[in-house]
Order: sequence, then C-alpha cells, then structure tokens
Amino acid sequence: MGSSELLEILIQKSNQALAGGGEARMAKQHAAGKLCARERIDRLLDTGSFIEMDRFKTHRCVDFGMDAEKIPGDGVITGQGLINGRQVFVFAQDFTVFGGSLSLSHAEKICKVMDTAMKVGAPVIGLCDSGGARIQEGVMSLAGYADIFLRNVMASGVIPQITAIMGPSAGGAVYSPALTDWIFMVEKTGYMFITGPEVIKAVTRESVTKEDLGGAMAHNTVSGVAHFAEPDDAACLERIRELLSFLPRNNMEEAPRRPSSDDPERRDEALRDLVPADPNKPYDIRDLIRSNLDDGYFFEVQALYARNIVVGFGCLGGATVGIVANQPLAMAGCLDINASVKGARFVRFCDAFNIPLIVYEDVPGFLPGTHQEHGGIIKHGAKLIYAFCEATVPRITVITRKAYGGAYCVMNSRHIRGDLVLGFPTAEIAVMGAEGAVNIISREQIQGAADPEAERKRLVQEYRTKFANPYKAAELGYIDDVIDPADTRPHLIKALRMLSTKRDVNPPKKHGNIPL
Amino acid sequence: MFTKILIANRGEIAVRIMQTCRRMGIQTVAVYSEADFRSLHVVKADEAVPLGGARPAESYLNKEKILQVALDTGCQAIHPGYGFLSENADFADMVTAAGIVFIGPSGPVIARLGDKIASKKLAIQAGIPTVPGHVKALSSEAEAGAVAAEVGYPILLKPAAGGGGKGMRTVTRPEDLASALRLCRQETRKAFGDDAIFIERYIEAPRHIEIQVMADAHGHAISLGERECSIQRRYQKIIEESPSVALDTEARGRMGRMACRLALEAGYVNAGTVEFIFDADKQFYFLEMNTRLQVEHPVTEMVTGLDLVELQLRVANGEPLPLKQEDVRLKGWAFEARVCAEDTERNFVPSIGLITRYAEPAGSRIRVDSGVRAGSSVHVFYDSMLAKVITWGGDREQARLKMVDALNGYHIEGIKTNVDFANRVICHPSFIKGDLSTGFIARHLADAHPASLMPEADIHFMAIAATLIYHLRENLIHRSLLPLQAQVGGAIPAKRQFTYVTKSNGAVLDIEIEPQASQDQWRVRVNDAVYDTITPPMEYYRRRLKLTIGNATHYFRLHYSGNFIEVAFCGMVKPFEIYTPKEWQLARFMPKPAIKAMDNVLRCPMPGLMVAINVQAGDRVFKGQELLTIESMKMETAVASPVDGEVAAVQVTPGETVDTGSVLISFK
Repeated sequence: MGSSELLEILIQKSNQALAGGGEARMAKQHAAGKLCARERIDRLLDTGSFIEMDRFKTHRCVDFGMDAEKIPGDGVITGQGLINGRQVFVFAQDFTVFGGSLSLSHAEKICKVMDTAMKVGAPVIGLCDSGGARIQEGVMSLAGYADIFLRNVMASGVIPQITAIMGPSAGGAVYSPALTDWIFMVEKTGYMFITGPEVIKAVTRESVTKEDLGGAMAHNTVSGVAHFAEPDDAACLERIRELLSFLPRNNMEEAPRRPSSDDPERRDEALRDLVPADPNKPYDIRDLIRSNLDDGYFFEVQALYARNIVVGFGCLGGATVGIVANQPLAMAGCLDINASVKGARFVRFCDAFNIPLIVYEDVPGFLPGTHQEHGGIIKHGAKLIYAFCEATVPRITVITRKAYGGAYCVMNSRHIRGDLVLGFPTAEIAVMGAEGAVNIISREQIQGAADPEAERKRLVQEYRTKFANPYKAAELGYIDDVIDPADTRPHLIKALRMLSTKRDVNPPKKHGNIPL
Repeated sequence: MFTKILIANRGEIAVRIMQTCRRMGIQTVAVYSEADFRSLHVVKADEAVPLGGARPAESYLNKEKILQVALDTGCQAIHPGYGFLSENADFADMVTAAGIVFIGPSGPVIARLGDKIASKKLAIQAGIPTVPGHVKALSSEAEAGAVAAEVGYPILLKPAAGGGGKGMRTVTRPEDLASALRLCRQETRKAFGDDAIFIERYIEAPRHIEIQVMADAHGHAISLGERECSIQRRYQKIIEESPSVALDTEARGRMGRMACRLALEAGYVNAGTVEFIFDADKQFYFLEMNTRLQVEHPVTEMVTGLDLVELQLRVANGEPLPLKQEDVRLKGWAFEARVCAEDTERNFVPSIGLITRYAEPAGSRIRVDSGVRAGSSVHVFYDSMLAKVITWGGDREQARLKMVDALNGYHIEGIKTNVDFANRVICHPSFIKGDLSTGFIARHLADAHPASLMPEADIHFMAIAATLIYHLRENLIHRSLLPLQAQVGGAIPAKRQFTYVTKSNGAVLDIEIEPQASQDQWRVRVNDAVYDTITPPMEYYRRRLKLTIGNATHYFRLHYSGNFIEVAFCGMVKPFEIYTPKEWQLARFMPKPAIKAMDNVLRCPMPGLMVAINVQAGDRVFKGQELLTIESMKMETAVASPVDGEVAAVQVTPGETVDTGSVLISFK
C-alpha cells in the first residue's frame, strides 16, 4: 500500500469519528436547542486549540449484537486544548452515539484525560450529556463509573474540576459531577437525579416532572447541588471560560493576577451612605462588593441559592480574591443551614486553590427555629467554622454593621486566624442585639421600674451607645482598625499586598474530620 | 442685604439657591425631613434643622414648624423654592406676619393668581387673550353640560386650584362628561381640598410657551424672554428651551409687554412666570401665572446672563430692579433636560433606591443643577426630579448637540432614570426641526424602540463602542492569563485583524478591528463602512466611554450585563452581543429565549404606598379592572388586573409600603 492510500485510510477513519452518530441524530440534537459534543468543545476552547485523544477507541462488548455496532470514540470526545491560552483538559459526552451511554471504554477515555490532567496540573472540564450506564456492558459499565469517582476524589483540591450538565445525568452518573468543584446546568435541557420521575411514581406515588425534580432551577435554588444555571449551551460554555479566568491551574500555582487600570487608591464616598443608620433596614451588600472590586466586576457564584450569603470571585488590585458576604437583603443576613454549607464549601475551595478571602460581615446571628435545630444547624454551622479555621490563605474581614454572637466568631474573626479585621464606624460587635441583651441582663430592673416600658427603652438605648460601635472590640484588638467606608478599597488592597507572602500551615495529619 | 435666610425646600433647588447665597455672602439654613438627613442640601447649607417625618405634611409642608425654625435660627427671609409651600398664600401671610420676608409675591397676590378663575379674569382685564371657556366654577352636572355645549367639544375640565395637570381631564364626547366631572372633583378634593372645577375649550397639541417676568416693589416690571416647555408627559415638563422657535422679535415683545402689564395689574413683586399656550395657528392664549421661581429658570439665566435667584433676593430686600427692559439682552440658545427617577420603559413609573454610582457631565457650556450624589437615596415621598442639565450654544443646534453629549455622559446607577428618554426626544428629527407640541411624546415616542429612526452611522458607532470594549477586555484577560511569555512551541504570531459578528435587536453587523501602529488607534470596518477610531486609555470601571470616530468625539455609556453589553447613545439603549465568527456559527442552534408565562398574581409595578384596595378575596374581576391604587412620588396610580378571574387573596393593606415586584393580589 502506498503512502497516499495509508493517508486515505486515516482520513476515512477520522471522518467516521467526526460523523459521530450521524447527521440525523445531530439534527435532532440541534432541534432540541443543544450543540453536538464537538461543537461544544469548539465553543469552549480557544479557536482551533483542541487536540483530541483516543479518537479511534471503541468498546469491546460482544453481547446483544454490540460487536456489530461500533463507532470510533464510543460516545465521548476527550482531549486537551487552551482556554484563554491556558492548558485545560476536556471530555464531552456525545448523545448522538449510543445516547452518550457510559461503557468501560468510554470511562477509560475519561480516566485517561483526568490522569493526564493530574500529571500536568491542569483543570478538567466535563460536558455531560449521557443516558447513563451502557446496560449491554453490565458491571463493566459500573466499574467505569467507579474508576471515574476515584479520580474525581484524588484530583479534588489538586486541579479545578468543572462539570456542565447539558443533557440528562441520572443514577450513578450524578456522583461524578457531585464530586467536582463546580456544576453548571443548562436550563430546560440539563437535569440530574438519582432516581427519575417514573421510579418515584412507582415507589412513592409522587408525581413530578423531570424539570421540577432535577432541572437547572431545582438544583440552583432548592437543593444547592449546582452553582450556575445558564439559559443555553453557548452561555454555559462562555461562563465556564469566565470562571476559569479566576482560577489557578492547580493547587501549586498562585491565583491569576489581572492588571487593571482601576486605581488601587480609588475611593467611593457613596459607601458612607450605603449602610442604613437603622440597624433593621436592609441594603444590598453587593453594592459594597462591586464598589470595592476592580472595574466594579463581581462574578457571583450560586447566586440563586441561600441568598442570605453571597459568594463569588473578583479582583482587587489585580489579585483574584474570593468573596464571602452576609446579605442583609435576604433574611437579614442570618446564617442558616444552607448559607453555612454554601459558605463553607466556597471557603474550602478558595483555600485549596490559594485564593485569598475577603469577608464582609453583617450578621445578626444564626437563624432560630425547630426546623433549623432539627435540621442540624449545629453540625452545618460548624462546617463554616471549620472551613474558616482551617484556611491558610490571606483572610480579611470587613464588619459593616452587625456582628452578633456565635456568628461573629464564625465569620472569619481574628480569633480563628483571620489576618485582618476592619470595622466600619457603623459596626456593632456584641453578644446579641440591644433588645435581647437588655431583656436578659436587666430583667429585674425593668420589672421593678415604675414604667417598665420606658425603663426598657432607656436601657436599650444605653446598651446601644455602649456596645453598638466598633470601639469596644477595637480596644481589645479584635478589630485592627476602624475605617472610613469610602476608603475600603484602598485598605483592602494594601492589606492584600501585605499578606501576599503569607505562609501558614496546619499541623500534619491524614485529614481533619469536618462535621459532615 | 439679608445676612441669613431659610430655604424651605429640598433637592436641587435648595442647593441651587444656596449657591447664589454663598456667592452673595448670605448664610443659609436648610430644613429637612427624616428621610433626607443625609441629603445634599443638608450638607451644603451652613445650618440644617430637622423638621420631622418623611411625609411632606410632617416636614416640608409643615408651615408652623418651618416658620419656627426661621425664627429660632434668626433668619430674615424664607425662600420657598418651587413646589411645597412656594405658592401657598397662607404661608406667605404667616411669614410676613412674623416679621420675616417671604421671597416671592405677597399672600393675597398668590391667592388671586393661584385661583385659575380669578387669574383668568385678571388676564382679561389686562387685555390678554384667554382660552374660550366659562370663567366660573361649575355648580352642577347640568350646568356643565350646557357650558360644554356652548364652548364646544373637546373640552378640558380644570380644577380652579392646583397645577401640574393634576385633576385635569379632557372630554371629547358629551356622554363622558358626567363621569369625568365626578372623577375630576374627587381627585381635586383629595389633592387640593377644594373641588371648584371650570371648563375651557381643549386646544389640541398646542405649544406651551411662558414669559419670565421680574417685578420690584417700586412699580417696575421687566420680561426676560420666553421659554418653550412643550415637551411634556403627564403634564410634567421634560425638555425646556429659550428662546422658542415659534416666536419672532415682534411676538416676543408683545407677549413680554402683556406679561409685565399683568404683573403690574396684579401688584406682583418678585419672579413670576406667565404661561401661554400656542395653537396651530400661532394664536396664543393666557394659561396661568406661576407665582414662584420655575424649575426651568436656568435656561433664562443662560440666555440673559442673569442670576434670577439674586434678583429675587434683591427685590425681596426692597431694592429696585438693577436693570431696565432695554438692558435685557438675549444671547444664544439654551436647553434644559430634567433628570427624573422613573422607568421610562414601564410607563414612567417612579424608581426608588440608592444611587450607587453617579457621574455628571461637565464642561464649558454645560451646567448641572443636582440635588443628588453617589450615596443619595431616592424616596417615594417626594418629586422624582433629581437634577437638571442645562446647555448653551450660539444657536439652537449647537445647544442641542451639547445637550446630546451631556446626556450621553450622564451616568446614574442604582435607580432608573429618564436620561436616555430625554436624549431620544432631543434627537428626534421633528425636535431638531423645532416642530414641537405638548402632544410630542405621545405622537413621536410612544414606541419604545423606534430603531428605524436612528441614523445608521449612530448604530455603527454604538456597535464600534461595544465591540472595541469587548475586544480589549477579552484581550486583557487573555494576556494576563498567559503564564509564560515563551511557551513550548513558541507563541502564535499576533493577529493583525480581528473579526466579530455583532448582534443587536435583530440587526447583525460584521465588524473587523485592525489595530494601527499607535496603541490607541484602530481601523474598524462595520459591514462596508470604515471608521478610524481612537480610544482613550481604558478604565473599565468607568461606565462612560469617550471615542473619537472619524473627526468627531462621542460619549457612550456602557454596561456589561450577562452575555451582552448594553450601550446608551443619543437616547438609544441597545444590548449588543458579540461573537467570533466561530461562535456565531454555533449561535444559530441556540433556542430563542422563552417568554415567561404570565403567572396568576398581580405584582407591584412600582414602589410606593398602598392608598386604596378596591377588591377582596372572592371577588370576580376582569382584565383591566382597577384593583388598587398606589401613591408614589406625589402621584396616584391605579393598578389594573392582569387577568380575568377570581381574587384568591389580597396580600397588602392600605397604608403599607410596597416594593416593585412584591405580590399584591393572587388570583385563582
């Protein structure tokens, strides 16, 4: 055979792989508002940077006539390429080939990509669109899943792992995404659940739609499983690119720096009026965050879940930072189970990937109620404490208003290795709010007074003037400085600069025992 | 001259009066409501005294308290500004009786001119043409019917008291008269505590032109040219200019003399404005006389070079007018645009909240009178006007273009404003021609997105701004993430040309960006047109961008929002989506964004106070039925049912403060 014929075979085989499940199936995919696997990769990566691995790999199943049905690639496209010029690894399940079902070969391809990514220290992005296990392969397929789970766990905290749910993901298939750091979901087309509506109907007689059970909104607002809900494939892939621009490639690398023309000394006098004088009035903490960050740009994460805590990324003086903030706009910024878990996971991610933390605190305490107590707020609240205590990245706190009770301790206080705590003049650090405190401390005095109500009011006022300010805590050194809110940005940037060479370690151990 | 005066007002006018006082060495005392304790006028005053609650009745309308403050702080005079107590005869009397100078005409004069019927009689006396009508309050529906028939439909029902269009109603058919009269009475009684109504012929789409007069206590009155205020919505002026294209020197002189005669006839002292309407045949009719400094006085100041507040203070102090009629020189042209907190996309409902970013236009021939700054809160209790932009030019077009630039560069974030809407008005071809009437907005701007009106070049400019910003920002991120300058395999040679597909509201433009030798110069091709563009050093956090395209400089406002960039320019606000050719190819497979199904609840369309609820649970309602009334920024708005159905639950109570989007009523 001459060289031209050899080349001809290569081209022919390649074309076969590129054709995937065939035109009809691809058209169907498009009709459903979805891109095909290769298109998704193209859209995700820098133009022309994708290099495929295992293009010709096929399954080895001989049962149920499967040996006659082989499509090179076997339902998943794997490889590597660049996002904004940086190395990433990617796998995209191809729904047009065997419904994207997972065979052992399919799993092996994913594992190979992950192993290589671990070796070179680059993020892995999985684009999921799969009907589930390839039933014809039986236990081999299950083995495939388990192989992936193991790699997810081994890679956790070493390289960023991102999953996009762009089609179905059901049963055991959901656990690989769940083990990764970030889950993106496409509205209407992406859904994930352990057991589907049919099974639920059969077992509990409960009737529910796929969308309501495990759609993008269900997981972004109710369960908190997912972090982003995007309207379509293109928006989802664009968003992944954006998220990656804030992350280092691996845990040995510093978080990216992004030069900005935004003056590090920029002040914002509007901030003096942001925090309302009335301690019970809400305001949007994101106004403060946006004002502080470079170019006013805040990339919020999990924006739809547990809105009483705001988390996300941004840059300060060019350095990437993670933001954790109580949100007075939602439930007065109380910490509850969901907020604690959301905050804790974010803090741990930032710590794992060397992203400094900026904490904005305005918290009246933990949310009371049997629902919370029986739901295990003790255990879940402890996760947030654990996460902060354990974190060794630079950690700065800005107390804007309330810092009450246990929630004060939790929110990155000095006592749990916070590096710097700044207070606004409106900050109030106390065991509890004035009313509650007076009712306990001076109960007898109030009851004994001629006019109990007037006496109570007087005592509340007295308590307020005494404790509703940052100076008591500043006298004790729990607050490093009280600052003009207009100067928050310059203060934060200088603090970050000072902390940029921070080295801190935890005692050697196999691993801690976070209250799960 | 006074050494200390009290300013019984808030917002931009209080600040503006203080500026003149400062220049003249007069100390100022501000008064403020609970809600205003951090307002700009409080900061700018030499002294500030709290009045009480946020509601106007408890603060800025509290005559006794304001007078007491003036006495306590040793003020010699009170300037009422406009609105609030400025045309309140009782207040003027009270102030004068307390031995303090009221900066404005005397109480009886205010009362006489404030009564529309009395003032109309006075105008007839002074020989000024008036709108055909019945100069008498209506006593019954029967009388109304007879009078209306005599005057001829369409007619206008007008409350004798009040102003600002409140309570006014047009009636085109006799059968609508009775119900219109009833509603008109109700509204008037509620607003002014008086329900005298009279009838006038309704003049369709007139121009609104007014003459500024200034009279002293020594029997002199001068007129300071006219202002055209035809651009209105809901009887509220938005754009004003001086002079007016509708007047020639002769007409100007004639109207000016009439206005002066009226002022003298009425025994008027201080600044006042005589309002006229102009019909299509250039006939003018007396409308009313406003006995205060007008919102739009700056345009007169720009063309006359006078400070009207200074004149007011001098006249109030008993000095004669420092100039005679023949000394008044009108030079050039001036425009004013009122900047209001309202959502122009949603029928101008008020918008409240915290102003999180604020940047005013500045420069020669631009003046901004503002009552807000970054950090100011906009409440439901007061007028929605935040600031005024005034520009001057040698001729009308120069002044107009200056205004276009000024509004392009006016950035307010945190609340919605009419800045772009105002700009759209002055960029309209009919406005440029000077073809104005009070029906201008209804006629030309009812459609929120008249894309066809916009010159193609303007759309190209917007696309260039959006694409360049996108390009620069993407490049910046890309460059900052390249870990090493020299990678294995070397760097790809830098591209000399970048191609994008830019999409906006259905229009698709091919854009090619070619960096030039100098770092800030670009050759941009939009479809087949080529533009040489110069970018300033980029500061992305500034939402304003100045670009030199061709030989002209343009100002844009940009805002990243999700996957698109919103650009505001010359009154148009357009979202731009920018794709690389590859991305564009795939974009066609993306589903169209679904329009959310209407849910069976009534959501609050605006922030405000719940005034009245007309239904209860179990009531059957039809689509369009008025279910409740919300008051916000001095205006009551009825909210109609979005559906036919049965009320399941009413989730608000009268008096409650409600916010945009909150559920008011749910339906079964």
